Amino acid sequence: MPTGTEAAGRPPQAPAQEGQEGHGESAVPAGQEARAAARVAVLEEALGDPADERNEVSYAHLLQADEAGELSEPGERVLDEVMLNADFVPRGQGGRLERIDHLVRVLRPVFRRDVALGLGYGVTSFMAAVNVWAAGDGEQRRRMARLLLEGGKVSVAYHELAHGNDFVRNEFAAQAEAGGGYRLKGSKQVVNNAGRARAWVLFSRTDPAPGSRSHSVLFTGRDSCDPERYRVLPRYDSVGVRGCHLSGLEFDDCHVPPSDLVGEAGKGVEVALRAFQITRTAMPGMALGAADTALRTVVRFAAGRRLYRRTVLEIPHARAALAGAFTDLLVCDSLSLAASRAVHLLPAETSVYAAAVKYLVPRMLSETMNELAVVLGARYYVREGEFGIFQKHIRDLPVLSLGHAGSAACQATIIPQLSRLARRSWFTSPPAPPELFALRGDLPGIPFDRLTLTAGGDSLSATLVAAVDELPAGTPLEQAVRDLALGMVGELRQVQERSRALSATDRTALARPAAFALAERYTVLLAAASAIGVWQQARGDGTFLSDPAWLAAALHRLARRLGQRPPELPPQCGERVDREVLRRFEQQRSYDLYDTPLAG
Amino acid sequence: MSVPTTAPTAQSLSAWLVDRIGGYLQRPVEEIDTTVPLAEYGLDSVAALSLCGDIEEDFDLVVEPTVAWDYPTVEALTGHLLEEFAAGPGAA
Repeated sequence: MPTGTEAAGRPPQAPAQEGQEGHGESAVPAGQEARAAARVAVLEEALGDPADERNEVSYAHLLQADEAGELSEPGERVLDEVMLNADFVPRGQGGRLERIDHLVRVLRPVFRRDVALGLGYGVTSFMAAVNVWAAGDGEQRRRMARLLLEGGKVSVAYHELAHGNDFVRNEFAAQAEAGGGYRLKGSKQVVNNAGRARAWVLFSRTDPAPGSRSHSVLFTGRDSCDPERYRVLPRYDSVGVRGCHLSGLEFDDCHVPPSDLVGEAGKGVEVALRAFQITRTAMPGMALGAADTALRTVVRFAAGRRLYRRTVLEIPHARAALAGAFTDLLVCDSLSLAASRAVHLLPAETSVYAAAVKYLVPRMLSETMNELAVVLGARYYVREGEFGIFQKHIRDLPVLSLGHAGSAACQATIIPQLSRLARRSWFTSPPAPPELFALRGDLPGIPFDRLTLTAGGDSLSATLVAAVDELPAGTPLEQAVRDLALGMVGELRQVQERSRALSATDRTALARPAAFALAERYTVLLAAASAIGVWQQARGDGTFLSDPAWLAAALHRLARRLGQRPPELPPQCGERVDREVLRRFEQQRSYDLYDTPLAG
Repeated sequence: MSVPTTAPTAQSLSAWLVDRIGGYLQRPVEEIDTTVPLAEYGLDSVAALSLCGDIEEDFDLVVEPTVAWDYPTVEALTGHLLEEFAAGPGAA
């Protein structure tokens, strides 16, 4: 029998696999990795077995809360008890935040159970706080840290419905007052937790002139506002994340002190764009937890249901859908990993990677879940019972592509950089450092001040280019990987040529669809490069990730996404991935890069 | 990389900027007043970033991506870029 705390929730057959685990319990690395793994285990244990209806944070109870349009109260209590807010506060400020990839891992158990809880309990506060970590002064950072460590919530209000992601045109005003401080006037819509937050981070117009130097970020405490001068707007009903408290704020000449200004006056767009790089990088990887549950739910269904005198699992189409979903999860996690580690290692390149993650990962996960829905059949439409969580996750996940930065806004971040990267970086930059892909490798701190608004280069795609010369081609699988990688490099050449040829109008927000498609193709290539990097790092460690089977499957799916028609993979590739899907189901392990033990 | 043999003048820089910005806005160059903020013409933040790439490409001069925010007119941008050229290649 397994012993030790990490064994909690693991079935007895798990230790038999220890021999092929590179990172088994006996070899927990010290330092950062040990802290992260322990923290993930704490969250997993505190939230408990989601399939056990006696558990107050089970899928059954979370579905009830969703039907009632409320956040799960026991869920919030558990997250209070483990003090999840501390994970949003840098270690230097008394919290636990040290790495973006770790934050992603820590939130994944929450999103695995409930996207609304993940967003509504905490990530909203993190999105707000990042502005202060990145641009606030010492006193503001202390104020934010205190508020969060006391369990308080902070809202962030960037958007106004009338202007969408074109937030440079926002009108909510903070007029400088002669006696110092600002006078808030106007409203902000669709603000998560607006009514229950202890403070708000407000993106405000401080100058009536058009352009990008007319906005500032304010960090305003609720209790510093005259209650007669502001009101919380009515709550919105939404298709997904029904439990989230989405409302708005309206201010009527409400005075706030000068100390609320975060960073310099007029630099609000820059502050927001820097903060976005962190949050856009982190959130899709967290939400991967929801797709993980969706896959596990469908595997459970497929293993138990019999049709045509066999289980659904034995039907080739169903098997292929499950393996495809698992492969997509690994690809998404690879891109998420590379981007979140790039924040630490390649901050000057992060602007493009953050937009790529925020664009591609939610899209891929939503598509994957739609493919899984086909296997689930009619049960996909049922809102309760054993498989009810699936429809909740499939409704909740699109919020990732809507709030915060729409897909098109992410492409618009990439488009003006394409021609520059095409001329200056692709096929000439050196490859990314191998540590970018080291799942459990240590990282330096978060260099908030070194995040730049445009990417100085792109060494992630250079990893793809360099890999073609380094990849082995001994076995048929390795040969397949190499051929697929060659195809990707050919695609990068085409993206390069087309990026160079983009006309002036195609390098603005009003670019033609072809420019948006080009940005999309580029994000797929970054995903391919990330998967290759992850495999190269894992090589020889004996884990599933060191097997070329998953990489071949990953590149194959990405090639098809690009419209290529690669030859079929050798049959052992699919068999290997299928086996892993089943192993992780049987042993209750996560469907991501980390192969983490789950509570259920 | 192409390096111009002679440093640009205020006149040539201004004409180059007007030409590029006209391209982004799809407006005839005669309509672009060098003293009017570009944002008033509707030059979006994406195009402003693209313009920085053009400056880098045509003059081999690396500029801050926010340069068009801080120097919001053709006239102001011209003045700033001339100073950058004077400071020498790569000084930015």
